[in-house]
Amino acid sequence: MTAASKSTNKRACKNALFRIKERAGDTVVLCVLLGGVLLFILWPMLCIALRSFRAADGGFTLEAYSNVLSKYGTSIRNSVVVGICTAICTTILSLSAALTCATRRSWGRTLCMILLTAAMVAPPFVSSLAYIQLYGRRGWITYRLLGLSWNPYNLAGVVAMQSLSFTPLNALFLLGVLDKLDADSLRSARDLGAKPSAILRDIVLPLMRPGLLVSMLLSFVRSLADYGTPVIIGGRSVTLAAEVYLQVIGYSNLEKSSAMNMFLLVPSILFFFIYRALMRRSDKLTAGSRSAQGGLSLPLTRCGSVGWLALIGSGLFFVLTLLQYGCVLLSGFLKSKKGVYSFTLDHWNELWSIGASPVVRSVVYALIVAVVGTLFAALFAYYMDRRRVPGRAFFDCIATMPYMLPGTCFGIGYILAFNHAPLKLTGTSIIVLANMLFKQLPTSAKICSATLAQLQPAQERSAQDLGAGRLAVIRDVVLPNMRPALLSCFVYNFTSSMTTAGAIIFLIDPSRQLAVFRLFDAVYRGDYALASVLASVITAIVLAVEGLVWLLSRKEGKRRVS
Amino acid sequence: MKKITALLLVLVMALGLSVGCAQQEVNTQPDPTEAPAATEAPVAEATPEVVASAEPEKPELSGTMKVVATGDVYGPLFEEFTKDTGVTVEVLSMSSGEVLSKLRAEGGTPSADLWFGGGIDAFMSAADDGLLEPVVFDAANDLAPEFRNADGYWYSKGITIVGFLVNDGLLEELKLDKPASWDDLTKEEYKGEIVMSNPAVSGTNYAVVNALLQAKGDAGWDYFEKLNENIAYYGRRGSDPKNKVTADEFAIGITYVDPSIEKLTEDYNVSVIYPSDGIPWVSEGVAAFKNAENVEAAKAFIEWLFSNDDHLRQLASVENKTGVKIIKPSIEGVELTYDASILMDEDLSLFGKQREEILARFEPMMGDKAAQE
Amino acid sequence: MYLELEKLNKSFDGKSAVCDLSLGVERGELLCILGSSGCGKTTTLNMIGGFLAPDSGTILLDGQDVTNMPPERRPVSTVFQSYGLFPHMTVLENVTYGLKFRRYNRAQAREKGMKYLELVGLADRANAHIHEISGGQQQRVALARSLIVEPKLCLLDEPLSNLDAALRARMRGELKRLQRELDITMVFVTHDQEEALILADRIAVMEHGHLLQLGTPEEVYREPTNDTIASFLGLKDIVWGEDGSVMKIIRR
Repeated sequence: MTAASKSTNKRACKNALFRIKERAGDTVVLCVLLGGVLLFILWPMLCIALRSFRAADGGFTLEAYSNVLSKYGTSIRNSVVVGICTAICTTILSLSAALTCATRRSWGRTLCMILLTAAMVAPPFVSSLAYIQLYGRRGWITYRLLGLSWNPYNLAGVVAMQSLSFTPLNALFLLGVLDKLDADSLRSARDLGAKPSAILRDIVLPLMRPGLLVSMLLSFVRSLADYGTPVIIGGRSVTLAAEVYLQVIGYSNLEKSSAMNMFLLVPSILFFFIYRALMRRSDKLTAGSRSAQGGLSLPLTRCGSVGWLALIGSGLFFVLTLLQYGCVLLSGFLKSKKGVYSFTLDHWNELWSIGASPVVRSVVYALIVAVVGTLFAALFAYYMDRRRVPGRAFFDCIATMPYMLPGTCFGIGYILAFNHAPLKLTGTSIIVLANMLFKQLPTSAKICSATLAQLQPAQERSAQDLGAGRLAVIRDVVLPNMRPALLSCFVYNFTSSMTTAGAIIFLIDPSRQLAVFRLFDAVYRGDYALASVLASVITAIVLAVEGLVWLLSRKEGKRRVS
Repeated sequence: MKKITALLLVLVMALGLSVGCAQQEVNTQPDPTEAPAATEAPVAEATPEVVASAEPEKPELSGTMKVVATGDVYGPLFEEFTKDTGVTVEVLSMSSGEVLSKLRAEGGTPSADLWFGGGIDAFMSAADDGLLEPVVFDAANDLAPEFRNADGYWYSKGITIVGFLVNDGLLEELKLDKPASWDDLTKEEYKGEIVMSNPAVSGTNYAVVNALLQAKGDAGWDYFEKLNENIAYYGRRGSDPKNKVTADEFAIGITYVDPSIEKLTEDYNVSVIYPSDGIPWVSEGVAAFKNAENVEAAKAFIEWLFSNDDHLRQLASVENKTGVKIIKPSIEGVELTYDASILMDEDLSLFGKQREEILARFEPMMGDKAAQE
Repeated sequence: MYLELEKLNKSFDGKSAVCDLSLGVERGELLCILGSSGCGKTTTLNMIGGFLAPDSGTILLDGQDVTNMPPERRPVSTVFQSYGLFPHMTVLENVTYGLKFRRYNRAQAREKGMKYLELVGLADRANAHIHEISGGQQQRVALARSLIVEPKLCLLDEPLSNLDAALRARMRGELKRLQRELDITMVFVTHDQEEALILADRIAVMEHGHLLQLGTPEEVYREPTNDTIASFLGLKDIVWGEDGSVMKIIRR
């Protein structure tokens, strides 16, 4: 009797202890998440903001702002024009690609998906170089093939390049929206006599409207923040992001570039709130479909002009993308002698002189960021969406901001923020890793949020009901159910870490170089052949890792089903 | 729980790996005590006093010297330095604008020790901001006075000269003659065929602007207004003009000229032109960063480089440039590959002083409004 | 026979879903296809609706071979289990959507739409959005949307399964009333014996893709042709009306 009550007592004690531990753990996790966002996003941005008000003598001034407004009106206008055009073109292209992909069956769809995923890998700058090589004044296609001679250095080129490079991600996003459409709605429409063209017009497109708006918003904002493309092919025209870059590398004017960044942040905050409202509407229109079977049975060839346009648009996108990749790969093997091209392995031999260490280090960093970043994003999305965290709109908004800032500026912000004790991180690997992680957080968190919205909260409640503590719920129910999102997040983080150079230039330590920095350096020096080789190597590594992840997930998926 | 533990383990290992990598680099450098024994070369050239003054410093040299340089050709030179002193060298290439921005952002805690190469105006501006560490040594007196800062904040390691790279095939196709001088470039027939780099980004193209303004006096700005109408666009990288001309995209590029540019004539249908009305030039700087972690190594390097002509000769050979002869006229074994008299008369001290003012006036010209005319 | 299925076969990945299915439905009749999940009843419905092409066999409707006719041209309309309503349209827009393809002008469509909404008792919600109305109301909108195009045949795929018990009982009566009133031929798929017994004029019992028995509810209940049907149906005592319809079901 006493023994039994003793053991019950003991168990109760243990339970209580376990509960306290869980609660403490939960608080610690939350603090790490919020602290991370405050420290690595808000603090650097505050540093930039403070810098923009700093006068030459260290006092307060608004000079930088009046300077920007009076002198860079054209740049601001260019940014907006390019942003709007890119948003429209990207959305049309990605809608085409998504529709084509969704209406293909089995292998056709797989092929489309592979092409879209592969197209996301394009390392920075190199695609712009390929653009010049293909469509420039002496482009392989424009000049040699078509005999045209035109000046490609203008904003139209920037719009074209940005649209091509933004399309894959947007197409995958729209494909997600399409897959969530209620298949029974489409079948009902057909049943009532609607031809495929009418279904597309009356049902599919209206239901996708919030999704399409989000796609436009995403590409508009991305276009605003993109400096690489306008710097290389903008010609005489400068956008605000390119101007930020020039102010940093040309004039070394941190105050002015900081003020310009503040101008980019205003649309960012607006963007955040519009995005949230739109996503809610999109979820209302598309979520809750129980009959989604994947695959839209809608033959585009019978969808009238819209269907044909979609087919042509996606065909165009795939052809242009393949051409670009082909061009980059080929450039690594070509040598020009007085206008005559010949095959060579010289550039690849040059690669060996760089050595393996930057490449290996890149892969290690990318893996770290992919693992930590994915976990961080998943937990962050969970706490923001499912827990009543005080001030969550604020934290969510902060976490979205790095999406808006040109990479260069986010890098400068990090130097400003972390150059003094007790926050001295400059010269360490941590600053590079943190910068990559938090620059990518907005997108990863959104990926996780979208999947989280599909999960029934009932699951979490049942787990809690059965006695699981807060952390246990996350570990046993939330994370396992977010598997697809975690995988996409991992791939996205890995890819971006391998291919994004913007911020890293300022943070990298001479003793710890990265492959993408060598690529940037090669582009900067005009060694396009070496740049092509490096780009090919980076692309190959990323594709290999993506393939591996995909295979593993398929195997795992099969195991689970059986 | 197991899964999370495993994940954490992977993380810790990965982090450990990256930190480990870094540590290894530090650990693998030779024992600093070996260094003095290896230093034989300076003794031959330098005066005994130099050796004496340098001696107490040498045992302190250790660790890694982090260098930001404009190129990656300097490997052999730094290897030599490592051999002599035991200090390992890590090089990161960065343009001078980037270096300056980074320095300013770091607010006095630079992450590199030595700045090697880049237009001298950036060095002047960094010295004005108090970001550089003075280095004083006796052999500095052998350098021509305009190539060193009086207080030792920066030194010039060579000069870069500017000329035209023209695409012969394209000129022929357009039925145009090669331009021979700066004045030729403003002829209407070259409209849209000239590429130069944004002078804010490119030190050499800034030298063109400053030198021509110095030479032409008040007429200078008129000249650039006219030139601007012929310029297709202003590249945002120093290598743009060269690349666009070799790619047959534009007929004329305003670019730095060195043997690597001369060598392009072998592979491409291009030729190099030294403008007959004078060649703008700019000297390239070397400096140690103030408050740098290993500032002693950087100071030692500067002294090491300038105190021994062997080292300067090696610099000239890895760079494949001969400007050292102008910096240190007494050096032997290096002969200028061009006639020094064609260089324009420049007051280098104005490069730093006028930079902001000139660029501010130049900036609005480069926009797209001018192109729409 | 008004609708005739002749030797329909359909298999997925080598697994037979419907096997040599032949049955007929009279004009104005309500046929229930009854079976447990996976018996092939929904596949059969999808083939009649034109969403699946049979591997072999023919479907005749009103003397016309419709086997290869696409759903948008087939004079058949379906009420889906999840209703498939258009969430971006109002109730009235949903109901009148099918009229767009039948040369109705806006006023005519509106008028007819209101008439059908009155039939299902939803005239007052005409301008509401789909997410603003209840599940039962959504069900009735779906029904009205299918009936308004005056199909030769209306198919219903477990349309009551998403409703609560009380609502389900009420909707059953309403469905039967509408079917009688409008004299529509209906094929109704369900796994609920009670529903089948109450609604159907005739019941087709399916299992593993085969038709086990076809007959009036009384026939099927009183003289099950095999043990499976017997055990499937024999759980209840039923009070039959004079016309052979079910008066009352007494649960044991």
